[in-house]
Amino acid sequence: MSAISVTRLGKSFGGVRAVDDLSFTVERETLTAFVGPNGAGKTTTLRMILGLVTPTEGSATIGGEHYRDLERPACAVGAVLESSAFHPALSARTHLEALRLAAGLEPGRVEQVLEQVGLIASADRRVRGFSLGMRQRLALASALLGDPEILVLDEPANGLDPAGMRWLRDFLRAYAQRGRTVLVSTHVLAEIRQIADHVIIVRAGRLAWQGPLSPETDLEELYMEVTS
Amino acid sequence: MNGLIRAELLKARASRTTWILAALAPPLCVAWAGLMVFLMGMDSGGVPPDARIENVYSMAQQAYVVTLLLGVLGMAGENRHQTITWQFLVTPRRSRVVTAKLAAYGIVGLLIATVSALVTLVAGLITLGLAGYPAWSPGVPAVLLGSALGVALYGLLGVGLGALIRNQVAAVAVALLWFMYADYLLVSFLPELGRWLPTGAARALSGMPLRTGELLPAWAGGMLFAGYVAVIVLAARALTLRRDIT
Repeated sequence: MSAISVTRLGKSFGGVRAVDDLSFTVERETLTAFVGPNGAGKTTTLRMILGLVTPTEGSATIGGEHYRDLERPACAVGAVLESSAFHPALSARTHLEALRLAAGLEPGRVEQVLEQVGLIASADRRVRGFSLGMRQRLALASALLGDPEILVLDEPANGLDPAGMRWLRDFLRAYAQRGRTVLVSTHVLAEIRQIADHVIIVRAGRLAWQGPLSPETDLEELYMEVTS
Repeated sequence: MNGLIRAELLKARASRTTWILAALAPPLCVAWAGLMVFLMGMDSGGVPPDARIENVYSMAQQAYVVTLLLGVLGMAGENRHQTITWQFLVTPRRSRVVTAKLAAYGIVGLLIATVSALVTLVAGLITLGLAGYPAWSPGVPAVLLGSALGVALYGLLGVGLGALIRNQVAAVAVALLWFMYADYLLVSFLPELGRWLPTGAARALSGMPLRTGELLPAWAGGMLFAGYVAVIVLAARALTLRRDIT
């Protein structure tokens, strides 16, 4: 059973066709890059996988189940969405603690994920004062709360400085090496090239290319070829 | 569900807005009660003495503005801050999120209502006594109880409105303009219709007499108001709760 299966997925917003007859699978224990031009439907696809957006046609499943039917979604999939938002008046710790309670997880998890993303020192500060990089770390901490089998990330590198970028890269590589599955959408091809072993390229809501990345593959060339 | 409710209570407790609004509730009730005692010196308009005394204590219901607002902000605020995304990721069965909010703001509302009712009781006893009126009538306990329940129910109404109207500013505007003023004016000017409206129902529950006409019995008012909350929550489930989170 694939970690994520997207089958003939389609989504229209009013008259705009955001995703069109899109099918792909993300296999277990892979780190898959999800790339494509702006407006190619990446974010919409990820949100349909996560049950936030209802598909117009087709389906997206996690280990064969729709996200909305998962018994414990936080333990199955962790998600970092683009420009993740937080209540500005809450501290990082309170935000995580509320999610932990809602997901029914062990009390110790909050401290563990704060440590995993390096936010212990800022845990009791209000999110209002957080930099973009710190918000991304907090979003990642939220996604990790349930120690999920699958991580889905939408443009996680946005707003990260070079050190943050490198930290994220190492983190995702280590996560995948522990036998977990990672699906990450990004525009930073050179960055993702260093860690991804599979790639899905979409263009205008449709699949343009899908396959494993061999060490010889020039991802940028491939991307330009199939999206132009 | 237990964990979801505890998560909501944690967020409510951690938010300064909750404490500031909650702190406004008792003085608001006291101010209204004091005004009612002052107005007792005026023409009674044919209202019997016991009812006028009970009217003072029914000002415990004025805390409804606070619980109504807290309910709206608690639910619609999730949309405003886009934190609803986290909520639905952890709890993809969205109606459970709303149910947990209702439970949590029911509890918060009851706490605010209880404190407000007790403070109103003390304020009523003192001000009526100082002004030389009888400070008690047999109907006062029922009035305080009904007022407190009404205040808590307004919190649920707020959550329902916040779920139905996803824009926080619009939700607050509807809550205040409709449920504070428009509904109240209709109840005052068209009592025949007004007794069936939310404000009329809530006033019946709290035993707040209407100069212009008869209200439903307290128990019927309470049921009717709960019915309004249920209709709004069901409308939210049918209309807005399933929408895409983009």
